[in-house]
Amino acid sequence: MVVKQYKDEMTGLERALAALSYQKPDRVPVASLVCGAARRVLGVTYDKWSQDAELIAESLIQTHQIMNYDFDIFVMLVDLSVEAGSFGQEVIYPIESTAYANPNNPIIKTVDDYRRLERINPRETGRMKVVIEATHRVAKAKAKECGVCGFVYAPLGVIGALRGHERMFVDCIKHPDAIIEACEIITPVLEEYAVAQIEAGAQAIVMDTLYASATIMSPKMWEAIEAPYAKRIADTVKKAGGALVLHNCGGGIYFDVQQKWTDPVAISHAYPAADCKTWEDHAAKWGKKIVSIGALDPASVGMTWNEEQVMEETRKFIEYYKDCDGGFILSTGCEFPPNGTLINAMAIIKAAKAYGTYR
Amino acid sequence: MAVSERERELFDALKQGVIDYDEDGVREAAQAVIDEGIDAYTAVFEGLVEGMNEVGRLYEEQEYFVPEILMCADALYAGLDILKPHIEQKDMGLKGTVVMGVVQGDVHDIGKNIVKMMFDVAGFDVHDLGRDVPLEKFVEEQLKTDSELLCLSAMMTTTMVGMPEVIKKVKDKNPQCKIMIGGAPVSEDLAGKWGADGFAKDANNALKEALNMVKALKDMQ
Repeated sequence: MVVKQYKDEMTGLERALAALSYQKPDRVPVASLVCGAARRVLGVTYDKWSQDAELIAESLIQTHQIMNYDFDIFVMLVDLSVEAGSFGQEVIYPIESTAYANPNNPIIKTVDDYRRLERINPRETGRMKVVIEATHRVAKAKAKECGVCGFVYAPLGVIGALRGHERMFVDCIKHPDAIIEACEIITPVLEEYAVAQIEAGAQAIVMDTLYASATIMSPKMWEAIEAPYAKRIADTVKKAGGALVLHNCGGGIYFDVQQKWTDPVAISHAYPAADCKTWEDHAAKWGKKIVSIGALDPASVGMTWNEEQVMEETRKFIEYYKDCDGGFILSTGCEFPPNGTLINAMAIIKAAKAYGTYR
Repeated sequence: MAVSERERELFDALKQGVIDYDEDGVREAAQAVIDEGIDAYTAVFEGLVEGMNEVGRLYEEQEYFVPEILMCADALYAGLDILKPHIEQKDMGLKGTVVMGVVQGDVHDIGKNIVKMMFDVAGFDVHDLGRDVPLEKFVEEQLKTDSELLCLSAMMTTTMVGMPEVIKKVKDKNPQCKIMIGGAPVSEDLAGKWGADGFAKDANNALKEALNMVKALKDMQ
């Protein structure tokens, strides 16, 4: 692709919407998965950042400013223990790392505990309330010119945090009925959480369906357990006027079954679909059916590559998707490393401008 | 030594029990091995290990995934718990010591547990330090045990950065120790950069990598 002197012709929101509807934007849009890393722009510790709506919102807004207002989409990912913590799970908040559910003290200690989970109101409870408020603040400041995506961890992810992932995987075989009972309790809460984020101003919801990948479980098991509940959340998001985006950073992600159950407009992913061997295969098979968001290796971008390498790898992805009618959005395949160099996050945008123009 | 029909029957029951994650079936076959005076060491390797080899193949062919592997592991340990006390240490064949754990700040231990299972069943002396292990503890344990292998696991970029410190300290004092690192953010590049001898990408790959590690160690001896 030819390197051009780039000049903005669209806002970030227009660019994102064009890509999501397969109408070529002025350049490839960039979704920022600089989430936990944004706290460093404000100079606050991770534990404080991840529990304070104002700090979350302000850090993302200032990160946008530091990046010359050039990324196009905000993603309201804080960490994967937000939902579980709101259900009463003990969460550990390290000062310099991502918060996590304490696996030594799971709220679901026995199989009977699955059905003892209590439904909560996400608008009033724990950090789900914090994220809704942060989404409101970011949307108020940015949603006119940028995309703002809310974030929901799909039911099995939440259950894994409440039970311990290893125990939950065994229960998926030994006690699937108990898991399904927990899904019945959790899913309406997640639906309400998604709607609340849309009402707060998010134009789309990213649902993390991590377990729908060969890294974790068979497509048959995913369809038997989580898929019907993922569909419920997907349908609710669409009914509330939001666009549904999936995130799945597992290897061998099941595009086919996830399309069947949730019909997302886009999937944020780190590896090619399970039925594709290479990125070229993926772009040819799925590139015009579901918009790809990705898929630079986060650890390499944040921790090992230099700016030139990031730009070169970004260029390759733009090349893979060049014949997909504009249906491609650049990002890392998972959250940008919270301790990664922001210079390299900015290099992705630099490459989008240098190599990603369509006109 | 030729294997009798009865021995073959029990070894096959152990193997199939692991594959079918049938804990009770494995327990029953293992107990029969002991009760009938059949060699426990042979039963482990021709029964349980053969079963896990087949599980590895099923994973390769994407018929088994993490939940199935964890179930197979439970069945394997059910048999190992019965058979292992009846095996003389001198009969264990491959004698190696492994120190392993998930680095400080990180609690993702499925990959580590799968690797541990492979070393356990292969007869290694496994020192599993668990998860969220202080970096200094790895160094202390490696030096204390003089282990041939050290396995470090991390799933987060914020925790994997502790690995080079451990690798350097261990290699400075004991350059013979082979160090393997594993986890989603880890790469061959990082393994090389930090001075590790190898890596495993994730929980599924860990099973395959564990088999390779065992083989590599055998070749070293």
